[in-house]
Amino acid sequence: MTAPLVEVEQLQTYFPIRRGLLRRVVGNVQAVDGVSFSIARGKTLGLVGESGCGKTTVGRSILRLVEPTGGRVAFDGLAVRDLRGRDLRNLRRRMQVVFQDPYGSLNPRMTVRALIEEGLIIHGLGSARERVDRVVRAMERTGLSRQALERYPHEFSGGQRQRIAIARALVLEPDFLVLDEPISALDLSIQAQVVNLLIELREQLGLTYLFISHDLSVVEHVSDEVAVMYLGRIVERATAAALYAQPLHPYTLALFSAVPTVDPARRRRRIVLVGDVPSPSNPPRGCRFHPRCPLAESVCREVDPPMVSLPEHAVHCHVAARELARSGGNASVAAATIAALLADRATPPTATLSPG
Amino acid sequence: MEGSMTPTQPMRSGGFWAEAWRRYRRRPLALAALVFVGWLAVVALFAPAIAGTKPVLCRYKGHLYAPCLAFFDRRLEPAVFARDRFRGTYPQNLKEKDPDSWAIWPLFFQDPYRAVRENEWPGRPANPARDEGHPSASHPFGTDQYGVDVLAKMVHGTTVALLVGFVSMGLAGTIGIVIGALGGYCGGWVDMVTSRFTEIVMCIPTLVLILALTAIIEKPSIWKTMAIIGATGWTGIARLTRGEFLRLRQSEFVMAARAAGAGPVRIMLRHILPNALAPILVPITFGIASAILTESALSFLGFGPPPPSASWGSLLNDARSNYSMWWLVVFPGLAIFLTVLSYNLIGEGLQEATDPRLREARK
Repeated sequence: MTAPLVEVEQLQTYFPIRRGLLRRVVGNVQAVDGVSFSIARGKTLGLVGESGCGKTTVGRSILRLVEPTGGRVAFDGLAVRDLRGRDLRNLRRRMQVVFQDPYGSLNPRMTVRALIEEGLIIHGLGSARERVDRVVRAMERTGLSRQALERYPHEFSGGQRQRIAIARALVLEPDFLVLDEPISALDLSIQAQVVNLLIELREQLGLTYLFISHDLSVVEHVSDEVAVMYLGRIVERATAAALYAQPLHPYTLALFSAVPTVDPARRRRRIVLVGDVPSPSNPPRGCRFHPRCPLAESVCREVDPPMVSLPEHAVHCHVAARELARSGGNASVAAATIAALLADRATPPTATLSPG
Repeated sequence: MEGSMTPTQPMRSGGFWAEAWRRYRRRPLALAALVFVGWLAVVALFAPAIAGTKPVLCRYKGHLYAPCLAFFDRRLEPAVFARDRFRGTYPQNLKEKDPDSWAIWPLFFQDPYRAVRENEWPGRPANPARDEGHPSASHPFGTDQYGVDVLAKMVHGTTVALLVGFVSMGLAGTIGIVIGALGGYCGGWVDMVTSRFTEIVMCIPTLVLILALTAIIEKPSIWKTMAIIGATGWTGIARLTRGEFLRLRQSEFVMAARAAGAGPVRIMLRHILPNALAPILVPITFGIASAILTESALSFLGFGPPPPSASWGSLLNDARSNYSMWWLVVFPGLAIFLTVLSYNLIGEGLQEATDPRLREARK
């Protein structure tokens, strides 16, 4: 196997909370706290989790749009966190981003041409005529017609705007794209078009994606590997097939159970989590999921669960670790046991309101 | 609904400012105000041709001259007329000293700085002075206590009224935008310093500050008055700019520009400023109105630019000594009122035309 294109190790991004006249730091929002993963060239990692779990911050930290407070990020062997000035700018050409909201991510005062062309100007790529050619090529790749060149973003629909945003990212011919919930703000009918466009572009251009989303079925469709985040940490990571077939972490199971399916054979008992996500400025001791976990035991309240790795699967959970050990490392047996345990203990849906 | 590979035709419309203008045009009062200010600008530009005692164009001893330009700057008065001892009175001198001469005269033969004497214009009596100078056919707005025609003074005062607004707010806008942009974009200690500085300047009552500065200045002139008004009037603009920059710095399109590798200067000038400009332009317009009022107030208090700069405020000052001369209050007062009102209407129209919340409502 070749060296991964993107490697993230123990990434940590804290935002200081300042109070009072002197703006003293009184605490930290631990948006991302010790996240590690790697993405091989040409592959897609899906990052899922509920709102506020830090998945967007992971993407922005890798791109240095927010400064990480700790950990290591390597892109094609380059230590991203140490880059300054020109080196950082050169890196930015190679990793681009598509944001969630195509209404907010396009400067309303710039024409489509100016929006897409800007990166080329910043990086001094090509003469004026070559730049227009490149802009048009990027637009055609994303299914926009050349007539759109001199128009403003507000003249387009959400799906078309997202195509503009994708064209803007592609015009620099990057290797790696952070897709930060690229379809969440779009109409359902258009979501599929944009997802298919992204898959097509990945095949054509050999792109590597970090696909951030809270839509589990889309992530399954797009990703090679999937990581599930909860409160600033990755709780489970596996190949898409393994994760969806045998989820081991109770949180992952709860997430899956919330996905509506049309297939009655796949329909699971709904696992409803009690309570709210704790504040990331004051995360719970031990396992971060324990206050809401139906399977929580005393050890979960005290000890941060270490990672248990199988060939295609990694999970941070005491219960899962025990079940895996009992079944001799057979993930499907362990997954079935955990699912049964959860079904037993989870609060019935009628008793409480579902959070989120 | 859009097709995947055949994008639909998006609705056609212009850029942001074209759209804003389209919405602005729908407001008759704001449009009328704009027309009025435009008309004032024309009056200011052509003031010496509208009211004056110097020919707009004349032929004298074989050469063409435009002595009326002397009203803009005394040095523009052709030297030949001083050599030939015209002493500022053209109609008789031209005919006496060169019978072949011809001249195009201003529409209204009256001088903004002195009373017209008897027979200066063929068959015209001398300007009445003091209480006798009430409005009449030959002096629509009357004359002041020295017999100077008020209409002529007001026509020439238009320049001052407009310049005060544009120059002082141009200065205030520049200072305010630079300080606000730095504070809002950089944050941290830069923001701390610029914000506190703005607040300190804000604490001092503007008129007191202006009076103090006026007292210090040697050789007051209209330009110095404008500079003082500008140098004290930037605080509101700075605060608003800071707020806009603070808000837009967090926006996703700025994040996207940073991801593309854009530096801070590019982000501020190309991404934030164009989006912040519309809301900043509104207080600048209101600022123009208040600058005109401030200048009038200063002139009224006698701290304004000294003669010969004619300003509307100084006419009001003249009225103070003799209340029976109501025309010295009514006409300049009306002019100030209408101009200030116009700028306020323009500001309001601009706000309605560019406010994003109202735009959303329209959709």
